[in-house]
Amino acid sequence: MINKVVATFDEAVADIPSGAMIHCGGFASPFNMPSYLIAALARQGASGLTFASTSAGTGVEIAARLRAQMAPLVDWPLDYWDLGLLADLGRMRKLITSFPAGTGRETVWPFERALERGEVELELIGQGSLAERIRAAKAGIAAFYTPVGPGTATAEGKEVRDFGGVPHVMETALPADFALVRAYRADRLGNLVFRGPRTFNQTMAGAARVTIAEVEEVVPLGELGPEAIHTPGVYVQRVVVRPSTPIPSWDTPC
Amino acid sequence: MPERLDLSVMAMVVAREFQDGAVVNLGIGLPLTCASYVPEGREVILHSEHGLLGNGRLAQDRSEVDPYVFIVGNRPVLAAPGMTFLSHDESFAIVRGGHIDITVLGGLQVDAAGNLANTHVPGKIAGNLGGAPDLATCAKRTVGMMYHTTRDGEPKVVERCTMPLTAVACVDRIVTDVAVMDIEAGRVVLREIAPGWSVEEVQALTGARLVVPLDLREISLG
Repeated sequence: MINKVVATFDEAVADIPSGAMIHCGGFASPFNMPSYLIAALARQGASGLTFASTSAGTGVEIAARLRAQMAPLVDWPLDYWDLGLLADLGRMRKLITSFPAGTGRETVWPFERALERGEVELELIGQGSLAERIRAAKAGIAAFYTPVGPGTATAEGKEVRDFGGVPHVMETALPADFALVRAYRADRLGNLVFRGPRTFNQTMAGAARVTIAEVEEVVPLGELGPEAIHTPGVYVQRVVVRPSTPIPSWDTPC
Repeated sequence: MPERLDLSVMAMVVAREFQDGAVVNLGIGLPLTCASYVPEGREVILHSEHGLLGNGRLAQDRSEVDPYVFIVGNRPVLAAPGMTFLSHDESFAIVRGGHIDITVLGGLQVDAAGNLANTHVPGKIAGNLGGAPDLATCAKRTVGMMYHTTRDGEPKVVERCTMPLTAVACVDRIVTDVAVMDIEAGRVVLREIAPGWSVEEVQALTGARLVVPLDLREISLG
């Protein structure tokens, strides 16, 4: 019988080795970040990691500030962690991203500090090319040409070729060893339903050798109808359910 | 110096061009303001890079918030009938495929060739591209919305960008708190000017030579 549901977050990330290449989903909202997987990876201790992600993450301190700012509108979750935590802990070797820095001079993210310390490498790329490089990895496409990037730093060292008189940059597929994604519901086959904008969570599911989905709940097989499933289970290797009561510290095993 | 336009007026000037039925992407920062000034009677479809198409206005209080429906910058917005959620790759297929009618982006510098630099805030160790390279390159129309000068009074409309470029030859129009300018054949054409300003005063704050057509008008919202 197929059952991709794993009992704990610690178990879900136990085999991620130091030096691994990891896709990390989420963006724009604390409610679509695979926070418990990130926290489990922080506890597990793997280092020298390379990540691909839309954003470098705010880290624990700035998240606390955002929580206060957002309080009039929404309760920012106490169990929110992003890649800033791993940058702060010195686990990151490289980040491939479109958004490495806080906006404004006064908002300095952990990744920026790690860059200043010379601990990490940055590969800056626009969101569209990052998304398509990951989609290409999922779809078995080695490379593609995009009109985005010629004449900018993104195109440096890459092939540029004309199609219909328009210069295009060749971008290559960006596969990973592991993908950490957040979805809303799953079943034991790993079928996923998302809630809200699906961000890189849906793009990354299936682009890594092992995709791990953090979900609110696992429902009995058949309850997610075939018309409703956004990501088929063939793209997903592990599913792990978020605790029903938030655990507010990242270093608590779960 | 005469008074500069405030942000709401700048947003109205930009939003005048949103046609009924237009698919519109608004960048983080000043451009997001334009969502509140879509002209009466016109229906536009807002696109947000992380996979949101056709959302409603910004949520004003707790009772309106669905924590799963956010736009960039952690801002909750209202659901609207017909709204769609997408993956990031699908969202950028929409952008790259030319399905966005107009994008409004903030700018650090725009030059006479229509090159856009909006990536690297001085003093930061790294710059943010976000989705701007794709939007600026592939939207049918790109409007740069920015203050005419930096906090230190340096011109942001320049002959040639000195900051890292987001995309080349992509900007069609620049709307600032002083003027509306079009990029045409490698020149900055002054189209509209804020009330009370003279061409000479605008030129003094501009790093590129302005072409002044005979039909130069005062900015009006009528």
